Amino acid sequence: MVYKAYNWQLGREVNYPYEPKRPQKQFAVVMDLNKCIACQTCTVACKTTWTPGRGQEYMLWNNVETKPWGFYPLGWDIKLLELLDGNKKTVFDAPEGEVVLGWKPDELDWMYPNVGEDEVNEPVDVGTVLENLPHPIWMFYLPRICNHCTYPACVAACPRQAIYKREEDGIVLIDPERCEGYQECIRACPYKKTHFNFVARISQKCIGCFPRVEDGYQPQCVITCIGKIRLMGFINPPENAKPDNPIDFLVHVKKVALPLYPQSGLEPNVYYIPPINVPLSFLKQMFGPGAEHAVKTYMAMREGKEPELQALLHLFGSTPRIPHTFKVVGNEVIAYDEVGKEIVRVPIVEPIQHRPHKDEKLDVVRQDIP
Amino acid sequence: MRYTGALILGLVLSGVVFSQEIVCKRVKSLPLDPLDKAWTNIKPVDISLSGQAVVPPMELKPSITSISVKCLNDGKNIAFHLVWSDKTEDRFHLIGKFSDAVAIQIPYRPSADVPITMGDKGQRVLILHWAAFRQENIEKGYSDTAKIYPNYAYDWYPHADPPYKYPENWANQYALNYIGGEKVFRKNTFNTPVREVVAEGYGSSTWKDIQGAEGKGVYRNGKWYVVIKRAFVEESTSNPEWGPGKETFVSFAVWDGSNGEVGARKSLSYSWIKLRIE
Ligand code: SF4
Ligand code: SF4
Repeated sequence: MVYKAYNWQLGREVNYPYEPKRPQKQFAVVMDLNKCIACQTCTVACKTTWTPGRGQEYMLWNNVETKPWGFYPLGWDIKLLELLDGNKKTVFDAPEGEVVLGWKPDELDWMYPNVGEDEVNEPVDVGTVLENLPHPIWMFYLPRICNHCTYPACVAACPRQAIYKREEDGIVLIDPERCEGYQECIRACPYKKTHFNFVARISQKCIGCFPRVEDGYQPQCVITCIGKIRLMGFINPPENAKPDNPIDFLVHVKKVALPLYPQSGLEPNVYYIPPINVPLSFLKQMFGPGAEHAVKTYMAMREGKEPELQALLHLFGSTPRIPHTFKVVGNEVIAYDEVGKEIVRVPIVEPIQHRPHKDEKLDVVRQDIP
Repeated sequence: MRYTGALILGLVLSGVVFSQEIVCKRVKSLPLDPLDKAWTNIKPVDISLSGQAVVPPMELKPSITSISVKCLNDGKNIAFHLVWSDKTEDRFHLIGKFSDAVAIQIPYRPSADVPITMGDKGQRVLILHWAAFRQENIEKGYSDTAKIYPNYAYDWYPHADPPYKYPENWANQYALNYIGGEKVFRKNTFNTPVREVVAEGYGSSTWKDIQGAEGKGVYRNGKWYVVIKRAFVEESTSNPEWGPGKETFVSFAVWDGSNGEVGARKSLSYSWIKLRIE
C-alpha cells in the first residue's frame, strides 16, 4: 500500500507506505553551522551517555564531519544523491520488492568517522587570501544526529514494525525487544543514523534524549555544545507556524534554518543555518533552494539589520530547558517554557567595562586582561 | 492493513497442499546430533524452495532452492533433520553481514487453510528458528567485541560489564532499559540455538517467553546439517495441536547469510506439507 504524504519542505506529496500522520508535537533542532568548531563535545556527551557499551564502539549517534570530504559512514551523502537520480526520486520511490530506495554500508565504511577532517575543498596555494564571501577555498563542520523525520524511512522499512514515531513529541525510537537486527533500517535511512549493535544484535539509534525531553530539558548534545550552535524545540508545520516559537521563527518566519538533503523526501527535523563562507551551489545541493535566502538573511543580520534574529541566536546554549516561546524586550531576549513561565533572560549586548592601562590606586600596569 | 496485496495472495496461497508428505517415524530416543547414525536410514523428503516474493523487502534471487527433511519422534518430542547446500558458512550476525539460518513453521490448528504467509489474526503459527550465530555462541562462547574484532582499539567501557550488560544499579536507568535491557540480554543468552516464535501474520512474529526447543547445526562439505527438536507439549505455554497419531502441516524457510538474506529476505516452501506423526 502506498499513501500520499504532504511534505512541506518539497511543497508536494511524496509516497509513504504508512498513512501520513503528524505527531502532536515535533522534536526539532536548529544548528548554526557558522559557529561549529568541531570540538566534538557533543559527540563525547552523547557517547558517554548512550553508547559506551560493547558492540557500540563504532557508534556515534551524534557525529561531526568536515564537509566536503568528511563522512560517517563513508560517502553516505554522495550515495544518497546518486540514488535520487538528480532529484527525480525520493527514497520512497523504491524498485519492485523493496520498500525504500536504500543501500547498505559495509562494515569498514563506519570505521573512519570524519575521514578528511579539516580538509579544504581544494589545495591552498601559497599566498591565498580569503577576503571575500563565499571563500574560494572552504570547508565547514556538519554535526549530525537523527532527524526524527516526519516520514521516517527507518520506520517505513522495518518489516517487524519495531520502529515507531512517538505521538507526544515525534521522537523516533526502536523497540529493542521487537528488533531482530535485520538492519533494514540501516539500509533505508538515507542519513545513516541507525546503527547495528553487533554484540546485542539489535539496531540502535539516537533517541533524542527522550528522558530529558519528557522532563522539559534539551538533549545532551544541545546543552553541552561549546560553540552554542544548537537549539532544541518543537516545530509546527508552516500553516501553523507561531512567530514567537523559536524554531518556527528560524525555520518558517525568517527561513534561515534549512533541512539537510530535503530531496530525500523524509521531511527531516534537524535544521541548519548554512555557513556563509561556502559557495551557494554546494549549499543548495545540501540544504535545498532556500540556501540563498538563508545566507542573505544571515549576512544582513551581521550588519545589524535583523535584530530579532540576532537576539534569538543568543538563546542558543543559554538554557538547559526547552524554550517554547521567546520575546525580545529592550536589551534582553527572554525564553518561556510550555506553560509560559520564564526560564531564562539573556542580555543581547553585554555591558562593556573599560579599565585603563594603569591602575592608579594600586600603582600597577595592567597586563593583557579583558 | 499494510499490504493488502500480500493478504490477498496469502489467502490464495492458503489451502494449497501439494502431494508431498513427511512421515515422522516413532523411535525410542531422539538424537540431537545431525550426524548421528539414527538419521541415516530414514528417507528424506526433498522440498523445493523459492524466494520470498509476496511482501517487500523480498528476495527474488535466493541462493538456496531446496532442502531435504527427515523427521523422528519419541512419543513426547519431535525432531526434524534438515540438510541443504550452502557454499559459504556464515556463523556471525554483524554489521551488514548475516548468519545462515533455517526455520520450520507449524500451524497451531492442523489445517492447510491457515495462511502459509506466517498465519493471520486468530490463525496462529509456531516457528522454530535455528541460526548459525547462536550455534557459534554456544560452541565457542558469546561473540562479543573482543572475539569478533580482536584488534579493535577501544579500552574504555565506563558502564558496561562483559559481554554488554549494564550494572543494575547504574544511574542511567533509561540507557539500562533501552540498550542493555534485561529482555535483550535474555534473548541473546539462551543456551539453545533455536528460537521459538509465534506469529499471526507478517511483521507480527514475537518470541515466546518460554524457550524449550533445542537444536544443533553442523557445517560439513558445503552443507548445513541441522536438527531442531521440541516437545509436542511444553509446560506453561501454548502448543500446536500435534502429537503421536496425529496429522498436521509444516513449511520451511532458509536464509543464506552471505547472499544478504535476513528477515523477510529468504527462500521458503510455498505450500504446506503434510506431516504424519506415527
Ligand atoms: S534520520 Fe534516519 S533514523 Fe532518523 S528518523 Fe530519519 S530515517 Fe529514521
Ligand atoms: S559541541 Fe557544538 S561546536 Fe562542538 S562540535 Fe558539537 S556542535 Fe560543533
